[in-house]
Amino acid sequence: MLSVQEVSRSFGGVYAVRDVSLDIADGEVRGVIGPNGAGKSTLFHLITGHLATDRGAISLRSANVDRLPPHRRAALGMSIVFQGARVFRGMTVRENVMVGAHSRTRAGFVSAALRLPRHRRDEREIARRADEALARVGLTAWADRQAGLLPLGQQRSMQVARALCAEPRLLLLDEPASGLRAGEREALAVLIEELRAAGLTIMLIEHDVAFVTRLADRITVLDLGRVIAEGTPGEIRADPLVVSAYLGEPE
Amino acid sequence: MTRLTPVAPVREAAGARPGSRIRRVLPGGVVAAVTLALPAFLDDSALTVYIFLGLAAMVTVGVSLLMGYAGQVSLGQGAFYAVGGYTAGILAVRGGPPLAGLLAAPVVAAAFAVVVGVPLLRLRGHHLAFATIATQLILLSLAGQLEFTGGDIGLQGIPRLGAGPYELGDASGYAYLTWAGVALVMLVTRNVIVSRPGRALRALATSETAAASSGVPVGRYKLVVFALSAAFAGLAGGIYAFYVGYVAPSSFPVLLSIEYIVMAVVGGLGTVWGAVVGAAAITLLVQGLNVIGTAPGMPSYAPSVLSYAVYAVVLIVVVLFLPGGLLPAVTARLRRER
Repeated sequence: MLSVQEVSRSFGGVYAVRDVSLDIADGEVRGVIGPNGAGKSTLFHLITGHLATDRGAISLRSANVDRLPPHRRAALGMSIVFQGARVFRGMTVRENVMVGAHSRTRAGFVSAALRLPRHRRDEREIARRADEALARVGLTAWADRQAGLLPLGQQRSMQVARALCAEPRLLLLDEPASGLRAGEREALAVLIEELRAAGLTIMLIEHDVAFVTRLADRITVLDLGRVIAEGTPGEIRADPLVVSAYLGEPE
Repeated sequence: MTRLTPVAPVREAAGARPGSRIRRVLPGGVVAAVTLALPAFLDDSALTVYIFLGLAAMVTVGVSLLMGYAGQVSLGQGAFYAVGGYTAGILAVRGGPPLAGLLAAPVVAAAFAVVVGVPLLRLRGHHLAFATIATQLILLSLAGQLEFTGGDIGLQGIPRLGAGPYELGDASGYAYLTWAGVALVMLVTRNVIVSRPGRALRALATSETAAASSGVPVGRYKLVVFALSAAFAGLAGGIYAFYVGYVAPSSFPVLLSIEYIVMAVVGGLGTVWGAVVGAAAITLLVQGLNVIGTAPGMPSYAPSVLSYAVYAVVLIVVVLFLPGGLLPAVTARLRRER
């Protein structure tokens, strides 16, 4: 599904990500963990296309994407849930989710301005998909509310709905559990489990090790911009390199 | 400047209750009827004000679309108004059919916006504001130097608008044309805003990153909305050229661009009707001040000082006390009383 080959990115001569490789299989849930400053966010933005790589190759479903802008990657089936609440202000929850269908529909300015039949058909289709996605994350009751008024947990779910509205092949989540209360975190974990059961490929970048361990099939551990370990949650927990990266070098 | 660009909620949300339809359409119908009836009751000088109000409203709807919905600031909207005016003027003075001049005005203004927009729209917030104002200054200075634009004197003797044997001679004809233009511009804006491209614009106003990752080609959409708002201004400029009969650099001062921003903010950014309300409020206010400023016994500088001062005061008062603008404040109050 996603293949990252020896990707590097430096800022002012300091490597944030160095020779990182990882392959995510179809239907896999991959966790990426690492202490602060390990390069998780940089790697995430290299994959989404909001940062350019210095070296290396990134391919999505065998198509080379590392020079494509973010919206072209979205069209190829990559959907993103950003860290924090990237809520489109001044729009209802449903409208926020409808934006997610952008790359799956085509009606442009002219057909919108003239209300052409194609545009009406598209609008109905987008609204239907958005309502489906909202139902899936349990936000149907909030659909007509202003998105900015949602609590953080629901804003995160709304972002997941927006990503699902694009009918993604690969769902990327950047620290989805951060800032959530325990109940919200549990609801999110259940949602991710449901998506995995439905066969979606997921990459989960997370600070919270317990959260990732519960959900991921495999985990990649970053430290100081490099991959220091990769394996099942059980293998990772037992890996001495990982333990020392998180707990400091043993005396 | 970015503080002046709140992204207002859109009330025409998808899936609104059908029962509220009449209540939403009715006020629009009443306004349309009054707009159509007004020219019959206005004398010539009032009709002139009415036409200028409509032209300002046309430009301001574009400003509201650009700033209020798409979150991009333009302090150079007068430049596109000027491009429209000069396009219509140059074509008509050289014997082209006036109707072609009128149609070319928005098209050339939009094309000009695309050319300057490619480099400028990489800028954000007040950088974009300064760059757009600079565009207008450069354009005016070019128009004042070049021969085919008539230099500082401008283009004189632009023929009246007409097609074949019909000629639009009297002011009430221009009033109808202007307000038909306003209606067109409002309709296009409303249709765009509630649709797929409109949602994409509103999305990128908050977060270009999240919009791009949702599949929105951010750069292209910013360019298109910039061009669309320029086309609105260009259309207004074209009508202006035919109505007044001449265009010169002094017809399009930078103050005009600032006036459009004030109108959009006063009326309520990110509301289609607010742009018209703002244009009406400011135009009538400036007219009133002109009457006071030119009253016997007032010093000669009174009119200009008054209008500058009042722009500033009105803008500050609105931003402080009615941050959403006049129209949202009034509708919110009406809703509460109901």
